[in-house]
Amino acid sequence: MPDVVGHLLLFALTGSLMLLIPLLIGKLIRPSVRSPEKDAIYECGEPTIGSSFIQFDLRFYTVALLFIVFDVEVAFFFPWAAVYGTAGQLADQRVPPAVAAQLTEQLASLPAGTLKPDQAIDPQTALALLKTGLVDILVFFGVLLVGFAYVWKRGDLDWVRSLARQTEHRQHLARTPTVVPPPEATRQESTVA
Amino acid sequence: MMLLAAHNLSEFFRETCRFPGFWPEVLAAVVHAVLVAAFFGLPAGVFIWAERKIAGRIQDRLGPTRTGGRFGWLQSLADGIKLLQKEDLIPGDANAPLFRLAPYLVVVASFSAYMVLPFSDGWVAVASKVGVFLILALMSLEVLGVIIAGYSSGSKWALFGAMREAAQMVSYEIPMAICAVVPIVAAGTLDMVELGRMQTGGFWNWLIFHDPFTFLAFFCYFVCATASCKRAPFDLAEAESELVAGFLTEYSGMRWSFFFLAEYASMFAVGGIATYLFLGGWDIGLPIIEALGLKAPGASSASIYLANLIGMFVFLAKATTVVFVQIWVRWTLPRLRIDQVMTTCLKYLVPISCFLFLGAALWPLAMAAGGGRSHWGDPPAVRRLDSASAVQPVQTPLALDEQEGAGRRSP
Repeated sequence: MPDVVGHLLLFALTGSLMLLIPLLIGKLIRPSVRSPEKDAIYECGEPTIGSSFIQFDLRFYTVALLFIVFDVEVAFFFPWAAVYGTAGQLADQRVPPAVAAQLTEQLASLPAGTLKPDQAIDPQTALALLKTGLVDILVFFGVLLVGFAYVWKRGDLDWVRSLARQTEHRQHLARTPTVVPPPEATRQESTVA
Repeated sequence: MMLLAAHNLSEFFRETCRFPGFWPEVLAAVVHAVLVAAFFGLPAGVFIWAERKIAGRIQDRLGPTRTGGRFGWLQSLADGIKLLQKEDLIPGDANAPLFRLAPYLVVVASFSAYMVLPFSDGWVAVASKVGVFLILALMSLEVLGVIIAGYSSGSKWALFGAMREAAQMVSYEIPMAICAVVPIVAAGTLDMVELGRMQTGGFWNWLIFHDPFTFLAFFCYFVCATASCKRAPFDLAEAESELVAGFLTEYSGMRWSFFFLAEYASMFAVGGIATYLFLGGWDIGLPIIEALGLKAPGASSASIYLANLIGMFVFLAKATTVVFVQIWVRWTLPRLRIDQVMTTCLKYLVPISCFLFLGAALWPLAMAAGGGRSHWGDPPAVRRLDSASAVQPVQTPLALDEQEGAGRRSP
């Protein structure tokens, strides 16, 4: 653990230095001629209108909520998958005893080499463990999927959510496709437009 | 270029050079960081050149031809020198500290992901038992830098780009993580070196061919990984035809280029993750190393080193191929609209990945309950023991001398 944290700090430092050094070198050779035009925010050549610190659409909020629920759940999948995968291989009768002992050590978080080959979990027990693991994840994942289905049904996954657009869409679906020739005047207008 | 398992190098500093206290670990970490830094900067330069060259060819142009001679291969370096001389602009309305901080966050996030990415058997800075989890977590920190960049710019384009990026990244994170779990269910370990060892001995041992669900999960993972690197057709955060340059609008010169450094580096990193999760890590695809007995128990440390060196080039080739496909896709497919991007993720990729996950969970159980075997081929763990016993000689003093020589040769 200290190894990981130490490396992480050092990598962060090295990464920052990789950016800092070119910027410092650049500072010596690059020009710095400021003008109001350069300081302005780019808005396609027009003077900037208003601030960019504006209110924002709430659907981003729904996406973020969905992410938190899902991602916390998925974070728990990883340890489960490691255990389940190990149990799955132990359930295989072709695994040699030495490998089975190693897998059992991994499963029980024992130091390497503590178990003898005959102390390994036998395939029948591993199969039972596999079944328990599946039931566990089905309950865990099932709750999440029910929530996901609810959000989907509520329409929170739709990006375009204007009510007018939705009713229009439904009418469009309900309407039988008949070709009605538009009146003469409108057709001319539309060609002009 | 040589990357070593952390404990080997720190042991070397402690036992051969006799450094006291915590210094062996610190020195080892410094060596790792510097080596990986070289590896981090290099792909960015190479891939930017490759991207321009490939884009040119796909669009029936030549791409860069003059800089550095025949193929314009020094183009990235020339670009870098040019960018170094550009004025460093920070808009008056921008929040300057955050504006300066953003590129650091992005680069540090994708750089620290390389910490747990092995380049060959045992050639990794930190051989973590939770490597896959850690690398996905570190890479997802990149989005923070992008959001801060967009938010602090004080420009509406940048803000829209950053918000799209936030929505897109957090959505694609879900199917990507679920698809990454699928091969883990087959292999039963989160250690990337172990994952590599389990897939040696021929392409039929690769986890992509383990069962139908891992096969499909690879493609699902690739789509999500492309989106999480904000590459076209998912580059809504930049979307130069809609949002000027998205979150990069107010950036210029060197600071601007750092975002691209991070982008190309994380493209390579997701390629590396895909290589370890699905494409066999450092395995050649045919049991050549095994046939030659380079890593057989009792092989000399020189032949193990040679095998690892070959493995590194194989790994680099595989990860580069994944990057090449990402570049190819970028210049072939048009950009999606933001609502299409979100629909693709939430209504297609999430249900597909959930299905794959459940299928992968049922697979070993159905096989084991049916016929006493949990997999079609050999269980992956069998190969782990073989390679682990072959790697044992690395701990001998002779191997440490070998590593010392290798350390000196590296750039």
